[in-house]
Amino acid sequence: MPIVEVVDLFKRYGDVPAVDHIGFVVESGEVFGILGPNGAGKTTTLEIIEGLRRPDGGRAVVDGVDVQQHPREVRSRIGMQLQQAGFFERLTVDETLQLFAAFHRRALPGSDVIHRLQLDEKRRARVDTLSGGQLQRLSVAVALINDPRIVFLDEPTTGLDPQARRALWEVIGSFRREGRTVILTTHYMEEAQHLCDRVAIMDHGRIVAQDTPRGLIRTHAPGTTVTVLVDGGQVRFDALPGVQTVQQANGEVILLTSDPLGTVHALMELNRSGEAIFHQLRVEEATLEDVFLQLTGRRLRE
Amino acid sequence: MRGFWVTVKMGLRMYLRDRGAVFWGIVFPLILMTLIGLAFGRTDSPSFTIAVVDQSGGLLGRGLLEGLRQVPVFRVEEAGDTEAALVRLREGRLTLVIVVPGAPSGEPIRAYFDQARVTDSQTALVILERFIADANLRLARAPQTLRLQATGIAGRIQLRFFDFLLPGILAMTVMQTGLSGVTWVVATYRQRLILKRILATPAHPAAFLGGLVGRYTLTSLFQMAVIMLVAVLAFHARIVGSLATLGALIVLGTLVFVGMGFAISTVSKSPEAANLLGTAISFPMMFLAGTFWPKDFMPKAMQPVIGLLPLTPLVDVMRGVSARGDAVTAYLPGLAYLAAWGAVSFLVAAKRFRWE
Repeated sequence: MPIVEVVDLFKRYGDVPAVDHIGFVVESGEVFGILGPNGAGKTTTLEIIEGLRRPDGGRAVVDGVDVQQHPREVRSRIGMQLQQAGFFERLTVDETLQLFAAFHRRALPGSDVIHRLQLDEKRRARVDTLSGGQLQRLSVAVALINDPRIVFLDEPTTGLDPQARRALWEVIGSFRREGRTVILTTHYMEEAQHLCDRVAIMDHGRIVAQDTPRGLIRTHAPGTTVTVLVDGGQVRFDALPGVQTVQQANGEVILLTSDPLGTVHALMELNRSGEAIFHQLRVEEATLEDVFLQLTGRRLRE
Repeated sequence: MRGFWVTVKMGLRMYLRDRGAVFWGIVFPLILMTLIGLAFGRTDSPSFTIAVVDQSGGLLGRGLLEGLRQVPVFRVEEAGDTEAALVRLREGRLTLVIVVPGAPSGEPIRAYFDQARVTDSQTALVILERFIADANLRLARAPQTLRLQATGIAGRIQLRFFDFLLPGILAMTVMQTGLSGVTWVVATYRQRLILKRILATPAHPAAFLGGLVGRYTLTSLFQMAVIMLVAVLAFHARIVGSLATLGALIVLGTLVFVGMGFAISTVSKSPEAANLLGTAISFPMMFLAGTFWPKDFMPKAMQPVIGLLPLTPLVDVMRGVSARGDAVTAYLPGLAYLAAWGAVSFLVAAKRFRWE
């Protein structure tokens, strides 16, 4: 059953389209990710669906409610974590949640939410003493305070160290187990791959592909990638055995191949004969990063 | 409604944890009051200067003069002209003016005092009455020869400078809260996307913004109470008018200047710019509006400008009520002008308000 429907959404800032006629459907209970580089239009898309911004065209329906017509009703049914949103630095974690609870018609007990986000130790700590990871968890706690069926998370793990990121992934995973629908944006392909049931890949305001992570890889980057750092020599990579596509980024050459063994063997031959010099040869299973590369010719983080 | 009250409650906690806000709202006004009071304030003389206008030209007047000179706390001057003496009374240079009527008229002896200086006047009058009663007793078989009638007149300058200064300081503090405090706080909330985060809840924005106004109203009353207490206890400032009226005026002033703070924060790009603009407006006003010294001290050419400043009517009415015990009704045009500033400010703020 679809719980969020986005139809032909369009938004421009000046002459630049930030969101360029996109559409997608999110099913109840799934974790849906919007993956793309900074400036792709992910946040704008999310904020239109949350009722924080007016689109210039198209519409979004959340839990059967049209966002443009009833933005406040939509906001009462969802929880949201905003990118970079600040909190009152002179309030404690506990007080912050009390305050936000008062802005909702119904709210979970603050202590429950604090416990869920592992902020028990910081309960009476002032917001300005929290670390980046703790702030981010507070931000998610605020999104959870009204016990929403749908949770929007805008780049929830940006700037966190790997350990803090894993901890937050755990929490988001638990949302899914509770049957909440999660819509998140990220520019970390590992995050999309790890968390999301389905992923929409966004670039320059458009959705260039959407499917399950596995489906995206199968369709757009089947097989294995071989990555080498080239240090001189002229090589026709596309003539090597098994190579399907050749991408160059940051001095690296990324070969998508259906015959990894044959490709690597041929590269080693070239290196031995001195026709070309390679450093750092890597062989990897294709990821969403490769899907993005195949679709846009660029890496996610540049 | 719960959002409103919790915003007020949390706002008060934030205020008490904000040393800067407490400094600018309480410590700074107290320092200003102390410095200005010490620089300009006159100390209380232990004696009362009284002028006697003798219209009797006879024994009664002469006797009274001699008798009064025996009273240790009275410094007695002889004055020829009643009007001239009353002018000096208005200016605060005399405590009492005593007019002895012509001998056969049967009129009472008149004593004029300044209503604004209730304590001084009452003390001097009590001593005078005691003196008259004694004199009457001493005049044999004529117990009611001398009668006294006391008439209060409105004086212009208070003897005690702190009585004059305190209401000015209170009005200034209210203005500072709005123009320097609110501008900074609201612009910071906007820059840090705190306002956006609030907007992202289903609550009506008025719950939060109203809560902010409520918070500033309560902190202003709190600041007023502390400043008054220090002024009264440490500087013996006297508050003649009703505290409730002064509180109501503080609330009105807070609403107006918080509105101006909101408006300023909507036209500024950053908290720094908002704060600077607010300070640029409040600073000259602080010196021009008669806050620390009478408006007449300013050049005549500036008077029309001074009359237009929103702080001026607030200072006037607060001083009238606090130092002279005037009725608020005497200041209705000024209050209406002040309220108009508030209304325009809130309109501008509502029209231009941005959440991010």
